Amino acid sequence: MEENTFDPDLIRAIFNLVWKKRAAEREKNERTETVEAEMGVGTSKKNRLTSANANALKLSCELLRLFVTEAIQRAATIAEAEGSNKIEATHLERILPQLLLDF
Amino acid sequence: MASEMERDEEEEEEEEESASEILRDRFRLSTISIAEAEGKKNGVQISEPIVACVSDLAFKYSKQLAKDLELFAQHAGRKSVNMEDVILSAHRNDHLAASLRSVSNDLKAKEPQSERKRKKNTRKEDKS
Repeated sequence: MEENTFDPDLIRAIFNLVWKKRAAEREKNERTETVEAEMGVGTSKKNRLTSANANALKLSCELLRLFVTEAIQRAATIAEAEGSNKIEATHLERILPQLLLDF
Repeated sequence: MASEMERDEEEEEEEEESASEILRDRFRLSTISIAEAEGKKNGVQISEPIVACVSDLAFKYSKQLAKDLELFAQHAGRKSVNMEDVILSAHRNDHLAASLRSVSNDLKAKEPQSERKRKKNTRKEDKS
């Protein structure tokens, strides 16, 4: 693939952080909901942490790489149209709404 | 007892935050090299705050993506996220989904051959 991309391990770490946080929140909610109900269900659901396979991570890296390159390419087009050879805040502002809608 | 639990939670939150900050910085380093390479390709310079801004946007996007992927996998009754989930996350944008699809096909095609290729490469290196 491309020479310049994100490290799948880095993306895995970010995903795991989010998933751990969400699992902890879920557990907390379940604990309050089933205080008087059966405890067995809660413990069995505890270890259902989401994971991602290697190719899915690589593909996520590609998706995030596309996000960055699209942002730069679109901003570069605007900068060129305005006769500037450096991307400044105003150029990013112009392309941001559509960029966020596209991803 | 209750205050102890609260303190634990606060500590956990702090830990999470610092972990998130470290990841955000590592993420920014990768973004800088990607953005600069892309800028060179397009013949433009990029002012530093813009790269940082794009990086933070992409970082937030990756967190949102994590949430989406988890929900997609759960909806399919899986615990593990696969490539279809990633492609699904781009379903609003046909171009994006199509290019992800072609990358995923490349990845799939590579997988069983990767060992053979590696062997070939080492053989070539031996000859030279």
